[in-house]
Amino acid sequence: MGEGFTPRIVGFLCNWCSYAGADLAGAAKLEIPASLSVIRVMCSGRVDPVLVATALLQGADGVLIAGCHPGDCHYREGNYYARRRFALLKKTLETLGLDTERLMLAWVSASEGQRFGEVANQFAGQIMELGPNPMKTKISL
Amino acid sequence: MAKRLGVYVCECGTNIADKVDIDKVLAAVSALKDVEVADRYKLLCSGDGQGYLKQSITENGLTHLVVAACSPKQHETTFMKVCEQAGLNPYLFQLVNIREQCAWVTPDGEEATDKAIRQIRAAISRVHYHTALEKKGMECNPDVLVIGGGIAGIKASQILAAPDRKVYLVEKTASLGGKTKRFSKLFVNMESGPGLIAGEIERLQKSKNIEVLTESEAEQILGFLGNFEVKVVSKAEDKEDKEQNFNVGAVVLATGFELFDAKGLPQYGYGTLDDVYTSLDFEEMNLADGPTQGKVLLKNGQPPKSAAIIHCVGRAEKGYCSKVCCLYSFKFDRMLQSQLPGVKIAHFYSDLCIPGKANQKFYEDTRESGVEFVRSAVTEIAGGDKGLTVKYETETGAKGDLAVDMVILLPAMETSSDARKFAEMLNIPQDDKGFLAEEHQLLSPVASAVEGVFVIGCARGPQSIAESIVQAEAAAGKILSALVPGRKLELEVKTSQILESFCTGCKTCIEVCPYGAITFDEDRRISVVNEVLCHGCGNCAAACPSGAARLKHFTFPQIYQELKEVLR
Repeated sequence: MGEGFTPRIVGFLCNWCSYAGADLAGAAKLEIPASLSVIRVMCSGRVDPVLVATALLQGADGVLIAGCHPGDCHYREGNYYARRRFALLKKTLETLGLDTERLMLAWVSASEGQRFGEVANQFAGQIMELGPNPMKTKISL
Repeated sequence: MAKRLGVYVCECGTNIADKVDIDKVLAAVSALKDVEVADRYKLLCSGDGQGYLKQSITENGLTHLVVAACSPKQHETTFMKVCEQAGLNPYLFQLVNIREQCAWVTPDGEEATDKAIRQIRAAISRVHYHTALEKKGMECNPDVLVIGGGIAGIKASQILAAPDRKVYLVEKTASLGGKTKRFSKLFVNMESGPGLIAGEIERLQKSKNIEVLTESEAEQILGFLGNFEVKVVSKAEDKEDKEQNFNVGAVVLATGFELFDAKGLPQYGYGTLDDVYTSLDFEEMNLADGPTQGKVLLKNGQPPKSAAIIHCVGRAEKGYCSKVCCLYSFKFDRMLQSQLPGVKIAHFYSDLCIPGKANQKFYEDTRESGVEFVRSAVTEIAGGDKGLTVKYETETGAKGDLAVDMVILLPAMETSSDARKFAEMLNIPQDDKGFLAEEHQLLSPVASAVEGVFVIGCARGPQSIAESIVQAEAAAGKILSALVPGRKLELEVKTSQILESFCTGCKTCIEVCPYGAITFDEDRRISVVNEVLCHGCGNCAAACPSGAARLKHFTFPQIYQELKEVLR
């Protein structure tokens, strides 16, 4: 798998922690897969499951959600909601017999540039192994 | 009106230009819908760059702007200001981060260029769906409520009171001065606590703008930074309860501490054995107006010939070091020695905590004066006809006994019993030890999670007097800069809104809002956002099952536009 496959990965990053962490990875000139496109949101709690499902239906091969570490949310508890919604969404996808490996939730703080690099590369590697998102072609709404 | 978009790519010196083929980017985006101008510039954030951008926006009559440059953390506000200067609403602008998250992290030039094109196309698509947002200001009340009349509350009140700012200082006991006024001496200079407090109260009383309410408690505080409604009830013993209502712009909690109840550890004999005292009992004994007129005496009226000071009582149970006990215990040594020449003192400790520039000498002088330090764990304090016996075990497991006349326990400091009440009243969290939690331990140590509510002194953890005063000054400084009489408070622009026609009245948004910013309008049967309280996290927008809750500037259509382009 992966021959000629250029994945498209979307990363929803919260403004205060993970987006700043991704900036720090940039300042450190770490290598981040070009397949990852970041969409900035103010809080991981803003990422509603419909948005993630839409991304998958639009052909995203992977969706990453990253927010502040538990206890560190800029908005007190948005990341806890993100975590619950993520768990629920995974369950829903599982029930529908869809791939849950294409989703990832990670906590990356503003000072964890290195960690952002690791998360991004690990997830991109995982998506390369999984190959193209079958929903792109199979499902039509 | 037809849209006219401008797209500007910053070279950022060589930072972006070295990796991204900017001409190729411009060629790819210049033909997109409504793009009027697509251009490059060597350094857009420079004075010249901003001037160029401003001129170009005006000359081309642009209605929307996309800038591809560095992270929004760097220069989003810079370019938003340029928009304002050019007469363009700053929310009709989108910044694309092609430096930190593209040029710097993509070694291959071609890949970097492709990624930049995708990201810029996404921004162009998104900006079509932006709407102009207006800044809002709110009149604020500059007055301040300070709760707790100890040293922290007194100092905060002194600094805050001014001709155009009234301070209400609410104290639940009958007099100001808190614990400090009951400390006959203060480390390390052995000044008089009551003397220090008397001077501070005198200064406080000179200010015409501080209303002191003793024997009073805040019963209700509702509102937000700039506008809290306060209800205070005064419960003087021989008078009828008196209720007072007033408004303030900020609240300072200086509710102080209490000691860990040493009765909870029966091995120390506190409350059951004569002549076992806590540190606060010993302070009381040393006060001229105390039970023994300031004399250190045993229960039988005789002065003690020896004393044991037991450190860290309750430290293991509480799970933290109270950090001032070691220091005030050396003060106790001096107080004992000055009254009782020849008194024998032994400290039983496991660790000593004596940081700070003046404190090492304070400790060394104590040791040199003949005070004994026994590193051990005290297993029991036993009573008997001839006095007390401290039973202990050293690190090597050796057991020992020491007969003494008096035992002074140094119990851990814990948060005052009022902490829970105020945490609930104001919706601020308590930390895992029960203290009122700071917004951020490192970055925002005197603010609470609720804007406009500050926590200082021992209410937020064990502190020395000096530290409490520093925090009082810090909180006062934050309040003085936030609440300027006559100046409006700037509110968050990117707040949530709830569309009346979509709202089914399910109240899910009310449940998930971390700020209590959403209330239910019973007449219209819909949820309503208080824009003053909303911080714009968007949790309600993610939770709303009917799509009625929308976070301005991060609406579903806006994010969707971005999404569909990056997936192309």
